[in-house]
Amino acid sequence: MAILEVQNLRKSFGSTLVLDDISFTMEKGAVLSLIGSSGSGKTTLLRCLNFLEQPDSGIIRVNGETLLDAAAATASDFHRNLRLKRLHFGLVFQSFNLFPQYTALENVMLAEKLLAREQPDWKERKAARLQEIQAHAESLLADMGLKDRMNNYPHQLSGGQCQRVAIARALALNPDILCFDEPTSALDPELTGEVLRVIRSLASLHTTMIIVTHEMSFARDVADHIIFLDSGKICEEGTPEEVFGNPQQERTRQFLSNYAQQ
Amino acid sequence: MSFGEQLPIVFSALNTGFLQTMRLFLITLVGALPLGMLLAIGEMSRFRLLRTIIKTVVWIIRGSPLMIQLLIIFYFPGLVFNTPLWGSGESGRLAAASVAFIINYACYFCEIFRGGIQSIPVGQEEAGLVLGMKPTQIFFRVKLLQVIKAILPPISNEIITLVKDTSLARIIALQEIIWAGQAFMKGSRGISGVIWPLFFTGVYYLAFTGILTLLFGRLEKKLSFFR
Amino acid sequence: MKKIIALLLCLMLVAVAAFAVAEGESDKAYVLEKGTLIVGITDFEPMDYKNEAGEWIGFDADLAVAFANYLGVKVEFQEIDWDNKIFELNGKNIDCVWNGMTLTDEVLSAMTCSKPYMNNAQIVVMRADKIADYATVESLSSLIFAVEAGSAGEAEVNALGYQVNAVQNQAAALMEVKAGTSDAAVIDALMAAAMVGEGTSYADLAYSLPLNEEQYGVGFRTGSDLAAELDAFLAASAADGTLQKVAETYKVQAAIVTE
Repeated sequence: MAILEVQNLRKSFGSTLVLDDISFTMEKGAVLSLIGSSGSGKTTLLRCLNFLEQPDSGIIRVNGETLLDAAAATASDFHRNLRLKRLHFGLVFQSFNLFPQYTALENVMLAEKLLAREQPDWKERKAARLQEIQAHAESLLADMGLKDRMNNYPHQLSGGQCQRVAIARALALNPDILCFDEPTSALDPELTGEVLRVIRSLASLHTTMIIVTHEMSFARDVADHIIFLDSGKICEEGTPEEVFGNPQQERTRQFLSNYAQQ
Repeated sequence: MSFGEQLPIVFSALNTGFLQTMRLFLITLVGALPLGMLLAIGEMSRFRLLRTIIKTVVWIIRGSPLMIQLLIIFYFPGLVFNTPLWGSGESGRLAAASVAFIINYACYFCEIFRGGIQSIPVGQEEAGLVLGMKPTQIFFRVKLLQVIKAILPPISNEIITLVKDTSLARIIALQEIIWAGQAFMKGSRGISGVIWPLFFTGVYYLAFTGILTLLFGRLEKKLSFFR
Repeated sequence: MKKIIALLLCLMLVAVAAFAVAEGESDKAYVLEKGTLIVGITDFEPMDYKNEAGEWIGFDADLAVAFANYLGVKVEFQEIDWDNKIFELNGKNIDCVWNGMTLTDEVLSAMTCSKPYMNNAQIVVMRADKIADYATVESLSSLIFAVEAGSAGEAEVNALGYQVNAVQNQAAALMEVKAGTSDAAVIDALMAAAMVGEGTSYADLAYSLPLNEEQYGVGFRTGSDLAAELDAFLAASAADGTLQKVAETYKVQAAIVTE
């Protein structure tokens, strides 16, 4: 069974149609890369999946559970259990959005701690749960190569380190699908490498990921499946070899050749 | 009366006046900070009517002199409605001055709070949302400290201005420290025609704003652990 | 047009009705019911001022206490901003202005006043070393005068056509002279006697020429029946000699008016 099914997703801002009839599926452990020029709708698609935007129509299903059926959904349906629906997805932002007043470790622990507090047995097990949560966060940060940086505040970290903390933070709640919104666009070129390495290692651990990126060689390298979005539509999709090696659409060729020239 | 004999009399009068200054200052802070927060929340509400009302009130209060507001709040009930609302004596005047100051400063605080809240990047809210946090959790756990850090300089500025603005209350004969100092120019407690106490009140203001400046400096330093 | 006239008539009726209610009440009854006479004052030696214990004394203050006793009510002294005395009175924050108030046309038109009880003059104050050069009213014409805004002194200088600097109060007028920002001040003679000379900040100032003669009275709300009540009380006090005794306490016996 597909881990994610998206059917006929549509979204417009005012009179501008941003997503036009988007449908795709994803298998567990797969890596999907969304490419396309600025304004093609890649980021909006990610934001819809994370319920930061409310789609006008369409269906989003995770593990067979329908999280959203926009045709049937009223505004109140959309907002009901929004918090829990969001937890199926993790999102890593272009600009990190770390909480500046918390250390790296606290950033990773915060959401899990707040969720644990809502459990009925929180009071009895408080000390033990906190220890578990901290151990979990520490191991995630260690996986990101940030063992020595756990007690640093975000302003004391480099951009690449910040983004790795953000990835650890998104992983802390064990989302079914981890989404990246141009994770290296805000970084100096020499810092992008460390972030891409982390994402690659996540891919080798079969983490289900959707990655919006402008790094074409990285997308080709890490993704199992490529979707090329143009003006809110899926223009072309396929394996990296198909899309990069033998693009069928004129628009895709044009887009890729612009990148090749750079 | 020699200068040495004048000193204790003048100091006791100035201290009494300064006590009144302090009362007005503290009452205003305690009232205006929460009221300003409420106004700021109202100004960002989804209800357009509420927003418009608050914006208009803030415009009227910030756009007109505090001195006029003091006169209106103290004298209007008696002059226009023939019912002196504030009661007689110094306590009535302090009550009226407090109301005027609380309303006036709440409007200034409101704009500072609103600016502070809106200065927090939307990404902070979204990061909280995708981590499954509730809006109240996002406000208190993520935004609040950042807002406090952002508004500390303008708020401390406003609070130091408030210390000195309390002297405006003398227009409704609230006997704060400048009033007490001026009394010796005409004649009070056996001292008449003496100017220096009026100017000496400046020392009280300087000392108090000095303490406040140190306090806010410390607070800012405390919050400098993050950026 | 007819509609507008009708509307205006209606408004006038409402205003007259409202006024009639206010007029209909006896001010004396109001004060007696309340049980306190609130006396509006400013710190003004020797009329109303604080002794070293912080209690209000002075020629006016002592008489105000006696008058309240005579009415059978308590007395309460309320310091006011002199500019706002009519607001204070009409807003019922105070019941009378009893503070060496000169009975100018302005005062008489805004309040119902007692008969005059004391003589006063507006007097010129300037630097002691210059005062010999200005012995006549005509010799003052080149000077700039600091006066209290709205005071009798301002009216006198204006009447002479000389240059005026209007400041907040009489004390500020004196400070102008001391600081050299004005050449001379015109203030109440009684006040000048207390404020200028040895032991004050104005030891180098002196006063000389009176510009006029004027009188002090006590102001009540327009239409108040307390003014007549006070006249009767003052007449009785003068007849039995208590008025003179209080005046002697404050060394103003030469100035009081007794019929």
